[in-house]
Amino acid sequence: MTVEILTPEKSLFTGEAKLIQLPGADGSFELMNNHAPIISTLAEGKIKVVEANGNKLFFDILGGMVEMSSNKITVLAEA
Amino acid sequence: MANLKEIRNSIASVSSTKQITSAMKMVSAAKLRKSQDAVLKMRPYANKLQEVLAEVCGNLDNANENAFIKHREIKNVLLIVVTSNRGMCGAFNSNVIRRALQYAEETFPVQFAAKKVHFYCFGKKGADFLKSKNYPVAGFENKIFDNLKYLAAAKFADELMQKYSLHEYDRIDILYNKFKNAGVQILTTEQFLPVPISKPVAGKGTRKFYIFEPDEEEIVSQLIPKTLKTQLFKSLLDSYASEQGARMTAMHKATDNAMVLINNLKLTYNKARQASITNEILEIVSGANALKS
Repeated sequence: MTVEILTPEKSLFTGEAKLIQLPGADGSFELMNNHAPIISTLAEGKIKVVEANGNKLFFDILGGMVEMSSNKITVLAEA
Repeated sequence: MANLKEIRNSIASVSSTKQITSAMKMVSAAKLRKSQDAVLKMRPYANKLQEVLAEVCGNLDNANENAFIKHREIKNVLLIVVTSNRGMCGAFNSNVIRRALQYAEETFPVQFAAKKVHFYCFGKKGADFLKSKNYPVAGFENKIFDNLKYLAAAKFADELMQKYSLHEYDRIDILYNKFKNAGVQILTTEQFLPVPISKPVAGKGTRKFYIFEPDEEEIVSQLIPKTLKTQLFKSLLDSYASEQGARMTAMHKATDNAMVLINNLKLTYNKARQASITNEILEIVSGANALKS
């Protein structure tokens, strides 16, 4: 699945990932391949991205949104 | 024939002006590249946000009930006019200001006549002009362009939303120069509040059934402030990039004009110099002839 993490000022991450962990408004949750289409709000916290090669990346955000459909995840973050 | 010293002085002054204008051109060219970058980086975020908002609102039957979407009777209007802090950028500022006044008069004639259309200015130039003409200026802000950051713009959007919620204003519009390229700015008027909602394109066929977490209404109420902040930030970025573009073009023209002026002056100078030499030789020759005879 493709992950794109965007902020109003720049793009933080674009690429393939196995898993993404997000700080949801009601608690942290993870999205993996073939997840059903979802739109959710995000709270302040850390995003964890596990890349296709197992590399782990972390991003701090102040809040935002996530949208996933047909294996394309877009995170609109405020950082 | 003008006297030689005068011409020499004006050549010197024109060339020092030329140096200033060409330096300003370089500076705005560098700033332009930076701000253009920022505009381009901003666009995917803004577009996606619009898309998500349209998607969620399309799923929500009572989206129009939201306080920020619902239209109400327009009593007080706020026009946000985005200008620049400095001049020397051609018709950049006067275009926005003129359009703002025209727009206020045409769209809100009753409110405008009653002085209920207030102006909020980003950039010193707009505020100075509107104040000097005694239009109601609700406030102005000119430090934001020094270091244009999302969070600073977000703070202003928050203030505007609060004013709207308190019924201080019933309609807020933004006027700014949208950046197209260095030479072209598009004067744009956008509705800020209430939020104009564009329905997702019907009949796309592949309508997705999203899971909404926590629920549609909660998402909309979080999305709207975000879109407003983004919209304001985008207008400011666009205007800043346009300003640099306009200044670059204006300074380029000024440099060219200075060059033409210098060439003309040099020609006159040389003509005058030759004339004075000819005169001198004539005097010497006739003097020598007078001695001989």
